[in-house]
Amino acid sequence: MKIVLDRPRCEGHGLCEEAAPQLMHLDDDGELVLDREQVDEADAALVNAAVRVCPVAALRIV
Amino acid sequence: MTTPPTSDIDLFADGVVLDPYPVYAELREQGPVVRLRKNDVHVLTRYDAIRDALADWESFSSASIGFNPMTNEALAGTSLASDPPMHTQLRATLTENLSPRALRGLKGRIEVKADALVAELVEKGTFEAIDALARAFPLEVVADLIGFTGHVRDNMLRWGQAAMQVIGPMNQRTAESFPIAGELYSWCSQVRATDLTEGSVGRGIFDAEARGTVPPNTAGHIIHQYLGAGVDTTVAAIGNIVALFGSHPDQLDLIRQDPSLVPAAFNEVLRFWAPVHAWGRRTTKDVDIDGAVIPAGAQVAILFGAGNRDPRHYENPDAFLVERNPIDHLSFGYGPHGCAGQGLARLEAHAVIEALSRRVKRLVVGPEVRVPSNITRSIEELPVLEVIPA
Repeated sequence: MKIVLDRPRCEGHGLCEEAAPQLMHLDDDGELVLDREQVDEADAALVNAAVRVCPVAALRIV
Repeated sequence: MTTPPTSDIDLFADGVVLDPYPVYAELREQGPVVRLRKNDVHVLTRYDAIRDALADWESFSSASIGFNPMTNEALAGTSLASDPPMHTQLRATLTENLSPRALRGLKGRIEVKADALVAELVEKGTFEAIDALARAFPLEVVADLIGFTGHVRDNMLRWGQAAMQVIGPMNQRTAESFPIAGELYSWCSQVRATDLTEGSVGRGIFDAEARGTVPPNTAGHIIHQYLGAGVDTTVAAIGNIVALFGSHPDQLDLIRQDPSLVPAAFNEVLRFWAPVHAWGRRTTKDVDIDGAVIPAGAQVAILFGAGNRDPRHYENPDAFLVERNPIDHLSFGYGPHGCAGQGLARLEAHAVIEALSRRVKRLVVGPEVRVPSNITRSIEELPVLEVIPA
């Protein structure tokens, strides 16, 4: 599975980073960086949590 | 497929807006969508239905977020009341100076302000929590942030309250608030860069307009949205923090023992008492919700507080538990129209909770006084009778 970021929609709330720090982080400018876009089924719960907490629905799974 | 169940509840009756939770429970049990005959609206009552509707802007248009046509006309063309693709552009403009990214530098200053204010109140020992904290703190933060001074600063609370009130149906509260909301509107239509403090976010919006990143003559409208949406709701949230900590000393103890619970505690305050009571949408087509159809063109009311207490989503939803961390609560909305100021709201509320939990062992509060209000559900007066310092 793949995480997709809708960059114009992301406002840098950072809740996804709290939910899945292994997969993504905000850089020094407050921009979201996906450290891993392709993720295994083993990380499905983590990815789902990150997608779910985004308050502006800027993340999705394909 | 069937028509949704109906009810004779008046969503905006004084008794309902003062204490909506029994009504929410009743409506939620009737179905995820219920038609209210008296208000001529379809209410969304359950967590999943609300979250799905907030994500589905194509079926649930924001062109009718208010419950009277005058307000919807006045808001037409703003970020609040538009749909993508227009909304996407306006939202970017609105958040350019308000996103967590833009506000990163403010955290320290907000924390210092909250700590100083709470320290002063603890020292006093008794105080009226709404005036002295819930109103004082966000007013100071927002006024400084946007760059308000003088009479504008003095009027912010009245203006902010009226801006929310007029979103209601055309009842007496709405009618009385229109002239006051009009004062805000008129000021925002005339405000110039030099009316705002140098270096403020408000001044930044005018700079952006001059650079061409914000369309010509829109800076005032953006400032209108900041003030209209950001004052009354934050006052409600901070008042609720004090009231809930006062009435749940065991929960305050948990935060005192583990300060990392501060964000979770704010999420739970917002879940337990949603600052916004009802918010509108209009269906653009027939929408099927669990087999019941809302017809195209219907006015919808999203009941955030009903969804937040849905036992299908939250276990033991009527209990206030700061360890629950309901990060997916509905009180900020969700998706394209998710609260644009939530980053600032978090900065403010976290600073207040942190300062209270560090400086206060116990708050003895008197009875809370509420007055009926169309859209924002907040406490009007809350006496703190005694502070036991930490």
